[in-house]
Amino acid sequence: MNTKRITVTVNKERVEAVVPVNRLLSDFLRDDLVLTGTKRGCETGICGACSILVDGDVVKSCLSLAVQMDGRSLTTVEGLADDGSLSALQDAFMTKGGLQCGFCTPGFLMAATDFLDRESAPTETSVRQALSGNICRCTGYQGIVDAVLAVAETRNGN
Amino acid sequence: MREFEFHEPETVQEAVSALANLGDDACVMAGGTALILAMRQRMLVPEAVVSLSRVDELRGIWETSDGGLRIGALTRHSDIARSDTVISHFPMLAQMAAELANPQVRNQGTLGGNLCYADPATDPPAALIAHDAQVDIAGPNGTRRLPMEDFAEDYFTTALEVDEIVTAICLPAPNPGETALYRRHLRTRAEHRPVANIAVAYELNNGTCKNVRLAIGAAVPVSRRLRRVEALLEGEQLSQGLIAEVADMVAADIDPISDGRGQGPFRRRIAATLARRLLAEAAGLDWSEHRT
Repeated sequence: MNTKRITVTVNKERVEAVVPVNRLLSDFLRDDLVLTGTKRGCETGICGACSILVDGDVVKSCLSLAVQMDGRSLTTVEGLADDGSLSALQDAFMTKGGLQCGFCTPGFLMAATDFLDRESAPTETSVRQALSGNICRCTGYQGIVDAVLAVAETRNGN
Repeated sequence: MREFEFHEPETVQEAVSALANLGDDACVMAGGTALILAMRQRMLVPEAVVSLSRVDELRGIWETSDGGLRIGALTRHSDIARSDTVISHFPMLAQMAAELANPQVRNQGTLGGNLCYADPATDPPAALIAHDAQVDIAGPNGTRRLPMEDFAEDYFTTALEVDEIVTAICLPAPNPGETALYRRHLRTRAEHRPVANIAVAYELNNGTCKNVRLAIGAAVPVSRRLRRVEALLEGEQLSQGLIAEVADMVAADIDPISDGRGQGPFRRRIAATLARRLLAEAAGLDWSEHRT
């Protein structure tokens, strides 16, 4: 088996691992690191359930190899809470009903986290565009969009 | 996914040497979005993957001395969309990159990778052709440069030899007064893969078109300029009548793809409509008034 040693930072912790070169990043996170918050959905780059942040940018972990991550910093949904307290976005998903079955939620949280880090004045249209790489099969989009807008409003002091 | 050897060259020279040694059995990986999917679905089963991600010289956006742009092949779509240089000098390109696929793919996929995969159902080629872009290619025996229009040869097929890689995409400085526009049609807003797109660059002098480059993509196997259409527009006033004539000519001059995402007649109709709307926008006319 062809393997390679990689060093990555995962949720602020340094991880060294020897991985098969054909290991998907999503499988590395779930099966090797047991970070099962990242979901395997379509595994064809469509649904976005496997979204994580790589150096702050949202990507689909089913379209990456673990070996590509050597030297990079990863954030999964497990890394959003700070010392056990949920992020403002996670709270907003609960209060605004931004989830139904919950399977797509980690992916939406990661895409929305990246978006809110960049965009100080989001609109409903820009939120929907930012989340266009994620699919909710319960079709509960309105609650998700409301949650993202609510965080931005709170952050802007409204 | 089958096993493969994984190579990570650090320079262009190392990359092309590795490819020359490996021959037909190797695939080049840029961002990996398309390649990993193709390998998982066993459409591609390479013995070796040559990842370019450590070749830092392939990453970046530079203004050239003549006022043009040089975009490294490994530059991600999101980098192009957010680049102040691209936004100020080539706004159509920035807008195209900002809408390509979805945020996750824009953060991982690269311009060079997109062109080399040569999937027709994508945005960049037509936009780059309208900007008169050139593709810089490196191989073991040196470098060469091809017009963007000659780079893709067929579905998923480019002019690259097995031991060559794309190093950069170069755009000449726009002519003074040049404007560029791009429009695409998605079957649904969630699908992300255009069934047709049209890009145009032109100068307008008192409503008269000059130096028109108009390219069609996605509806046809290989994006290309429509030169009969360009000639029809050259030196003419952009009137509703002329625009209707152009739309008819676009429909007549393409041999559209027919597949599960759109039959030929549908794509022909969409291409004509896109051309009409794009030129109406160029002329400041309301495209919703005159339906073809």
